[in-house]
Amino acid sequence: MAFTSLNFLLFVVAVLLVYFLVPKKYQWVVLLLASYAYYWISANKLVVFLLFTTVTTFYTGHFLGKSNEKYNHLIEINNDTLTKDQKKILRAENKNRKKRILLTAVILNFGVLAVIKYFNFFVGNFNALFSALSIDTIIPTFEFLLPLGISFYTFQSIGYVIDVYRGKIEPDRNIAKFALFVSFFPQIVQGPISRYSQLASQLYESHSFDYTRVKFGAQLILWGLFKKMVIADRLAATVSSVFDGYQNYAGIQIFIGAVMYSLQVYCDFSGGIDIARGIAQIMGIDLAENFKRPFFAESISDFWRRWHISLSSWMRDYIFYPLSLSAGAVKLGRTSRKIMGAHLGKLFPTFLAMLITFLVVGIWHGASWKYVAYGLYNGVFIFAEVLFEPLVEKINRKFQINPKVFSWRLLNIIITIVLVSIGRYFSHAASLKVAVRMLYRTVAAFDFYDLLNIKILQMGMDPKDIYVLVGAVLILFIVGLLQEIGISLREKLAQQNLVFRWSIYIAAIFSILIFGVYGIGFDPVSFIYMGF
Amino acid sequence: MEFLLQLLSDLHPDVDFVINHKLIDDGLLDSFDIVSLVGEINDHFKIEITADDLLPDNFNSVEAMLTLIKRLQTEGD
Repeated sequence: MAFTSLNFLLFVVAVLLVYFLVPKKYQWVVLLLASYAYYWISANKLVVFLLFTTVTTFYTGHFLGKSNEKYNHLIEINNDTLTKDQKKILRAENKNRKKRILLTAVILNFGVLAVIKYFNFFVGNFNALFSALSIDTIIPTFEFLLPLGISFYTFQSIGYVIDVYRGKIEPDRNIAKFALFVSFFPQIVQGPISRYSQLASQLYESHSFDYTRVKFGAQLILWGLFKKMVIADRLAATVSSVFDGYQNYAGIQIFIGAVMYSLQVYCDFSGGIDIARGIAQIMGIDLAENFKRPFFAESISDFWRRWHISLSSWMRDYIFYPLSLSAGAVKLGRTSRKIMGAHLGKLFPTFLAMLITFLVVGIWHGASWKYVAYGLYNGVFIFAEVLFEPLVEKINRKFQINPKVFSWRLLNIIITIVLVSIGRYFSHAASLKVAVRMLYRTVAAFDFYDLLNIKILQMGMDPKDIYVLVGAVLILFIVGLLQEIGISLREKLAQQNLVFRWSIYIAAIFSILIFGVYGIGFDPVSFIYMGF
Repeated sequence: MEFLLQLLSDLHPDVDFVINHKLIDDGLLDSFDIVSLVGEINDHFKIEITADDLLPDNFNSVEAMLTLIKRLQTEGD
């Protein structure tokens, strides 16, 4: 069920009604049933994969807890008779046992994800390699259906087991409640990827109907619908046209198309997240923010602190830190310090870890070389930003450039938007080959006079659509600016007088009804991230 | 304490690390800073901070970091 469909609206209203009418201690049960109902309706038999991950990660947590209990018990009853060294051995034994348990869960679940999502990618590459080497074998590919949200719930569940392993949280004792944590329907489609310590207790607790929270939640949903239906869906047709038929467009137009896609994917993705967070907020549940005004980013590093935050922080905590602090990294650091000198040598293992992390971010998006390129593209810029930071500071001091001045920051923001849009060539073109050809054409078919040619800049769009877009983007910008300054808009709105508030609500609802792109036959343009 | 303060101000000269108690929460230290810091701390104090210890609570202030260091020093004995 798409978030913008009428069916989903009816579904949510029904769930909310039941949620607030049942006795409080059954509220989590309502959510559990609703989440599985949603999953069954949307993905049918593929629910078995969701169940597989739920069961394996739950029992992994359980066995990790048991291992700790065994160790703690041994230490306790033998406290006086064991030497310090013997205690150390027991601790190491516990650690190794837990490592094996954790590894099993990780291999099982990432293995399933890898096979379903990446099998054909690897097979395709092997087949290409075989034919290049004139070997006659062709490995068959399989038609795999992607279970809804597998990239999201798998990461969320593995985050849980790693947190249990690290002793950050206690294992969940109730498999039914845990199943809700894994399957919670507002976030199953496209995240955010939540942490157990942040989400679980909220899901299991009871919540009363709170008018202010319901109001704020509803406003957030409206805002999400506005971004998705008025902006994202309006950009969709032109963006597809450019990316599918770039040979028919001038260089500048291809670039504009990429910028438009950047805007489209932001409005689509963050709009969906807002709808999810709004629904959760009505229930009294806080889902983590996934976006923090990414178009105000002043560097690629800054961008990834504002874009798909739950994914980048997951990668940081479960891949980047473990890699960069591993024994291997320390060893590598000693060697690289000898070869590259103290400064660079110290940074080298960290850079490697960061590159690998971004490679993973890239391929998380999908099984294609273009995503590998996308990951590397981002990684290289972040690498460069950290590497050149001391040099930039020196230059700033020498030329007396004040980096905190508005004009300088604006320049950085514009540069970042350009760089991010170029990155979109890789993430959205049909393949890496096409992305490269698009980039080539952007430069080769670039005519500066096109910047003065209104017809070219119009991108073949209807003037009416352009007016709506400009207006909507202006609203988006103002809202973003106010949020950057730290103003809580929903709270400020609540303080205004009745007439003003209701004018805003009515304007919002009508703009979605009138300017929302409903398409021919009202087929909601499926959320871009639903395919992950 | 001095060693830590020196280390931190080398990374970010314009931040007051004595007063500030939300170094992670307010984004004053980013992931590269943390890795750099941990490397130096591990070498200097002869302990082993791993990814498992990288919780905001352990790095939000200099005091928090000292507490972590002391704990790992006693565990190692």
